[in-house]
Amino acid sequence: MKDGIANNSTASISQARKAVEQLKMEACMDRIKVSKAASDLMAYCDAHIREDPLIVPVPASENPFREKKFFCTIL
Amino acid sequence: QKVLVELKITFSQCSKNERNYKTTSRKYMRSPLSPEMATQEVQLNETLAHLKTESENLKSKLEEERAKLHDVELHQVAEKVEGLGQFIMKTRRTLKGHGNKVLCMDWCKDKRRIVSSSQDGKVIVWDAFTTNKEHAVTMPCTWVMACAYAPSGCAVACGGLDNKCSVYPLSLDKNENLAAKKKSVAMHTNYLSACSFTNSDMQILTSSGDGTCALWDVESGQLLQSFHGHAADVLCLDLAPSETGNTFVSGGCDKKANVWDMRSGQCIQSFETHESDINSVRYYPSGDAFASGSDDATCRLYDLRADREVAIYSKESIIFGVSSVDFSLSGRLLFGGYNDYTINVWDVLKGTRVSILFGHENRVSTLRVSPDGTAFCTGSWDHTLRIWA
Repeated sequence: MKDGIANNSTASISQARKAVEQLKMEACMDRIKVSKAASDLMAYCDAHIREDPLIVPVPASENPFREKKFFCTIL
Repeated sequence: QKVLVELKITFSQCSKNERNYKTTSRKYMRSPLSPEMATQEVQLNETLAHLKTESENLKSKLEEERAKLHDVELHQVAEKVEGLGQFIMKTRRTLKGHGNKVLCMDWCKDKRRIVSSSQDGKVIVWDAFTTNKEHAVTMPCTWVMACAYAPSGCAVACGGLDNKCSVYPLSLDKNENLAAKKKSVAMHTNYLSACSFTNSDMQILTSSGDGTCALWDVESGQLLQSFHGHAADVLCLDLAPSETGNTFVSGGCDKKANVWDMRSGQCIQSFETHESDINSVRYYPSGDAFASGSDDATCRLYDLRADREVAIYSKESIIFGVSSVDFSLSGRLLFGGYNDYTINVWDVLKGTRVSILFGHENRVSTLRVSPDGTAFCTGSWDHTLRIWA
């Protein structure tokens, strides 16, 4: 039982050490400004928006879900 | 002096297990405690306190660094972007056949087949064009919370309260009993919350109520890598688009979204801005950001290179949790399935809601956009799936 208490402490300590190491590693990251990140996100949207069928609808004949005709299986 | 030290040990450990330590401390008072052990105990506690302070300091430093680069808001930069027009999206197909709450669904790469799983243990493969059921399997457990289609389209993976992820090869022979060929791949110590094949049929990534994520080899069932770091149940995961490399994001009940390196098992980035469980995470199509949906009734966008939250999608009138999120093909729209039975459609750049869709008669529990972006599918506690376009 005496060792039990020491083990609990050492387990918490190793957990706390891991948390500190993790935070140190995260702190070292190279970050970019939000303005740059935002303009990149916008550029991606802009480059792909015309091919986005839910924004720029393709003719109904090309979207199998919007097509009026129904499929029937012949038994 | 000895007695004082012993009392210190008792009080510092009390919160953990009162009864246990109280009886132990009485034992200490009766039998002699070595001075070395007592000093060691005090030292350990001091080290722990020191580490906790260091941890808090590092967290503040991290926030400071992140704040330095916060020069503008996404929606401000997006003011010059053209607004989106009116949306006419409605239910084009309703898939009926589940006997209970639909919990999860996934699209096949062929853009027409869908696998769905439900509370009653049934996993069904549908042809979404015709609404026909192509395969059905009954799992040995209820609450099949996770299901995924293999990239080849030849198998599906699923799991839930059985704590496992199993793979079922799909046979062309509709009469064949799928359950016979079932292969158990993943084993967790609590429920399976999500699963996804990687770029091939050979590996599966899982997340679990046991607080971990894991990467498995399908053929051998071997654990290839495990991911520890969440402090509570992990509820969701999403793999980065293949062009951006070997990472994935996970979200959990600890309100954290973690980004992981699949090869090393390391957590590379962590985000903690939600106020409740994160039920769904999904990468932005470029791989530079991801969205999350939470029980706090908000969806949020996190940019990975800026290392911070860059948008919150919320309204005062929306008070129910978000169960699932996904982007349209260009990343301009974010679809969110909510516990108030609705789907809210958000303009990702401007931060505004562009549409609200009604139809389900109970919670929307799962939502995925089709691989070619022509439609999205929702699953609900009302036992049905709907295809919207």
